[in-house]
Amino acid sequence: MTDTTIKKTFASRRGTAPLLMLGRAFAALWSSGKARIGLVILGLFVLVAIFAPLLAPYSATDNSFTRGDSGSPAHLLGTTGAGEDVLSQLLYGTRISLFVGIAAGTLATLVAVLVGLSWGYARTLVGDVINFVVNLFLVIPALPLMIVIAAYLHDGGIGMIVLVVVITGWATGARVLRSQTQTLRSRDFVTAAVFSGESSARVVFREILPNMTSLIAGSFLASAVGAILGEAGLEFLGLGDVNTVSWGTMLFWAQNSNAMLTGQWVLLFAPGLCIALLAASLALINFGVDGLSNPRLREGATR
Amino acid sequence: MSLLSVRNLLSVRDLSVGYESPGAVAVPAVKGVSFELAQGEFVGLVGESGSGKSTLGLAITRLAKAPARITGGSILFDGTDIAALSAENLRSQRRGGFAMVPQSGMNSLNPVRTVRDHFYDIFRAHGHVSVHDRLTRARELVGKVELPATVLDRYPGELSGGMRQRATIALALSLEPRLMVFDEPTTALDVLVQQAVMATIRQLQKAENFTAVLISHDLGIVLETTQRVMVMHDGAIVEDAPSRDILLRPQHEYTRMLLSHYGDPRADVVSVPGIESRAPEAGSAATASRPTRSAREGRAALETLVVDGVSKVYPRPRRGEQPVTAVNDVSFSLEPGQSMALVGASGSGKSTIAKLITGVERPTSGSIVFGDLRVDAIRRRDLKRLHREVQMVFQDPYTALNPLHSVEYILTRPVLNYSTLRGADARRRVLELLDTVGLTPVEQFAAKLPHQLSGGQRQRVVIARALASDPQVIIADEPVSMLDVSLRAGVLALLENLRQTFGVSMLYITHDLLSARLVTDQIMVLNRGSVVESGETSSVLRNPRDEYTIRLLDAVPNPGRADVA
Amino acid sequence: MNFVLKKVGLLLLTLWAAITLNFLLPRLMPGSPADAAIAKLAQSGPVSASVQAAIKAQLGVPTGNIWEQYVSYLGNLAHFDFGVSFTFFPQSVSSLISAALPWTIVLVGVVTIVSFVCGTLLGVLAAWKRGTWLDTLPTVGGAFVSGFPYFWTALLLLFFLGYVAGLFPRSGAYGATVTPNFSIEFFGDALYHSILPALTILITSLGGWVLGMRNNMINTLGEDYVTFAEANGLKPKTVALRYAARNALLPNLTAFGLALGAVVGGSLLVERVFNYPGLGYLLYNAVTNQDYPLMQALFLMITVSVLLANFIVDILYGALDPRTRR
Repeated sequence: MTDTTIKKTFASRRGTAPLLMLGRAFAALWSSGKARIGLVILGLFVLVAIFAPLLAPYSATDNSFTRGDSGSPAHLLGTTGAGEDVLSQLLYGTRISLFVGIAAGTLATLVAVLVGLSWGYARTLVGDVINFVVNLFLVIPALPLMIVIAAYLHDGGIGMIVLVVVITGWATGARVLRSQTQTLRSRDFVTAAVFSGESSARVVFREILPNMTSLIAGSFLASAVGAILGEAGLEFLGLGDVNTVSWGTMLFWAQNSNAMLTGQWVLLFAPGLCIALLAASLALINFGVDGLSNPRLREGATR
Repeated sequence: MSLLSVRNLLSVRDLSVGYESPGAVAVPAVKGVSFELAQGEFVGLVGESGSGKSTLGLAITRLAKAPARITGGSILFDGTDIAALSAENLRSQRRGGFAMVPQSGMNSLNPVRTVRDHFYDIFRAHGHVSVHDRLTRARELVGKVELPATVLDRYPGELSGGMRQRATIALALSLEPRLMVFDEPTTALDVLVQQAVMATIRQLQKAENFTAVLISHDLGIVLETTQRVMVMHDGAIVEDAPSRDILLRPQHEYTRMLLSHYGDPRADVVSVPGIESRAPEAGSAATASRPTRSAREGRAALETLVVDGVSKVYPRPRRGEQPVTAVNDVSFSLEPGQSMALVGASGSGKSTIAKLITGVERPTSGSIVFGDLRVDAIRRRDLKRLHREVQMVFQDPYTALNPLHSVEYILTRPVLNYSTLRGADARRRVLELLDTVGLTPVEQFAAKLPHQLSGGQRQRVVIARALASDPQVIIADEPVSMLDVSLRAGVLALLENLRQTFGVSMLYITHDLLSARLVTDQIMVLNRGSVVESGETSSVLRNPRDEYTIRLLDAVPNPGRADVA
Repeated sequence: MNFVLKKVGLLLLTLWAAITLNFLLPRLMPGSPADAAIAKLAQSGPVSASVQAAIKAQLGVPTGNIWEQYVSYLGNLAHFDFGVSFTFFPQSVSSLISAALPWTIVLVGVVTIVSFVCGTLLGVLAAWKRGTWLDTLPTVGGAFVSGFPYFWTALLLLFFLGYVAGLFPRSGAYGATVTPNFSIEFFGDALYHSILPALTILITSLGGWVLGMRNNMINTLGEDYVTFAEANGLKPKTVALRYAARNALLPNLTAFGLALGAVVGGSLLVERVFNYPGLGYLLYNAVTNQDYPLMQALFLMITVSVLLANFIVDILYGALDPRTRR
């Protein structure tokens, strides 16, 4: 079949080109000092999340230990007010934060891409309506909205938090992607694709979309940071499922068991530091991504 | 040493400039260049893109920024080596020293400051104009570049491109410089504006008697303006001679090649390398000898594109302004196999006509008919049918190809969309197209990505893509204006050759009358949306009747017309 | 003037949308928030028919005519009538909000402006001194600190400066011994109590402004008008401030408007940590007690405040950019 041969050539091109691009993008990111630090930190967290059962000395929910231990050879970071091992909780907690960051970041970016691209490509009156809705979501303060929704859906757990983060977090990305779509839409190669007989969907997804990968990556990283911080905030207020082990709930329990008065500062310090490090690693990677899409921001490109 | 350089204002010795990037070998852009500029001299610096002329211009005004760096040599300005000056010393030297009028006057002004603020900033920085003389001096300066004093209160965004370029010249002039470097000062401007700004520059140089360097890719403009020309190629000055000698006795083959691409569209016989001269009567003869449709795979007979009384009015851009009539009652028909030029300055409506014919936009009134298609009211699903027959060659080869797709992908898509060819047959067709536009070896070019191609090669891919659907009409919108002079003839010759071989009709949109003369039979001159003159290209251009056509013809840079006496 | 009118129109439209969203939110939720609220209120004493009607207008009942509820909701809103809180029974929601609002507006408003100004100036400095420690320190530090959850910064400061060092009060907006009045003593005490929350918001929000301004300014430094200004021998300070920074400020201001919501959101959690009697603390109490009437009203107040602040930023932008005036 001749049809299959040409499909094969395209399939192979499709298969290799994105991989090649990904590799090249990674190399470019790695060459930026700040992004490299971010990638290393993120890589460590990912490893911890995957191997938490191997790394953690105890089960995260085992509360059979002495309560309020402030650090001993058996419990390096001590135990909580309820008698759980802090180090084990911290290691297992990585999973929740990473999961929320990736899941909510991916979903919010997906919504942002779909809205941003169709809104940027279509020239219809609907555009004005979408414009208004996006601007509304941009100015409505996200965290209070999250708190209110979470309060109605009480004890909804991680799925609820991801959903709430997506509802409140897609608008920024959509706006950025729309303006880039509008810029690209006026490029001759997009007009040329229409002249080549391409369908609108193909123009959007094969001509425009691949030219904004770094913006999409940036938008993903920003929503992931927002998701991780939002999740921690909601859990800290006790609006998630307080029985899951996450950095946010650890801080919730620490605050509620008056860890400050008992002087167990590790309980307050460690989970927050992990959240900050994870968020900072993503922000640092974003520095490198900025450099990919904007040569002026590249390191070494000094004046 | 210093005695020798006394009468020279600028003396450049073995100057080298390289582009440095971390972790890579520096790329030399200017390679050991030496030259002298005498007081009051007007010198041209000519070269094509990548020749290093702009880098050299930035270096001699000490504006080269990282990653560019002066890697060797000296720049003696009035006896002082400015290549070694400290930042603050350099800054104070700029008054009464060397000034620069940058390439894109569009962005050289701070969008949030008025023109007056720009003048006052300079006066304040050097203290050479007292506070109560500032306004008088600023008025005087804008007067010198033929701008009204009212522009002083305007923001850059409120000025036209030509006015902004004049304002930057006035600002540079306010430094009372002894040397002025003009870096492509009119490239972004419309032909007629370009001519007027160049005239102002010439007058200023005579009146103020500063030494001037005009950097340009256009040998015609330079020869018309300057007394001496330096030709730059690949980072070196290959020829440095008085303008008259460059014109009459060019020594270097590169200079000769550049010169060969100029001509007078008004002459009886016009030719450039690669395109045979067209005798005045060639137009009608060519129409008679059109290839028949039977040569083209037995498809239906060629259709005529009929444009009848078409107008396009855009809604008023801002409240309180008038609606814009981009096209006003234009009628013409493009016969099968005909080649028609649509010429005019920017804003004359020629690109709007292209959009109307291709169904990208709809006319406000009038009809456009192609075969059984009513293009003026075309439905979305019929667009594909129209585009199969009416294809487009774009102006800028750097934006017309998606940087992420290979040449093969770019050409395969229209083949799959418009023909029944699949698989190996489609691939064969793609390679055949590459061969047609002269990109051989075809296998190699098929695998390339756009950034691996030169501007001329990219434009050939764009042409191949337009041919992929086997169209009846090709609309070429300024297809060579973004290319270097030496590459233009090749692409034009290709278009002309394809038209004759395949019998497609061509609507050639351009501001360049010389190329219109070379590749078209019929011509329409557009001014502010209306056709002011039309007819056979050779007779219209040789005996123009309309005032606007004459002005356009006068604006064509022509070394032959240069005042080299 | 056209520009301002357009912005006022947009503000009104956005306000209407926010008010409507606030109306729809409890109605879109599973279960019946109104019944839950009435049941909760019944624990504190008998609930009159008029109070019941008001709650239903605000939170919705599955069976009612939605259009009538909407009209009644808008009517109540016009009278600033949000019903009765059952957390702080029998105080009305509007009186609770009016008591809490000034604390939040002064604390968050002042600190956010100070933070934006400082961050912007640091960003200008970082871009101008690119590649030196004046660049690296604020950018890397900024990226790191902007990843801090607001409440965690608050907990850290509270623990180290409040508990360990004992330098600042740990809770509340003023001491138990002073009474709120217009005395110097009270203002001094309020200021003293606000230092830790203020410091938290300042530290956590500063980084974002630094990074944003630095990137914008690096972009404007590459613009042709900066090169031309240098070619004309303008003083470096003029080039940096009036050419590069002045143009970089505009997108940073837009970013300020958009990030305002996040700063306000973060500040709410800070109030919770310090038991600072502002809107955030009230919201925390409302949420933990499922005090829906109070929660809805608070959400509306916070949203409207952010909308108004955004409106002011928009107008300011218009004043700074001659291009919008045309």
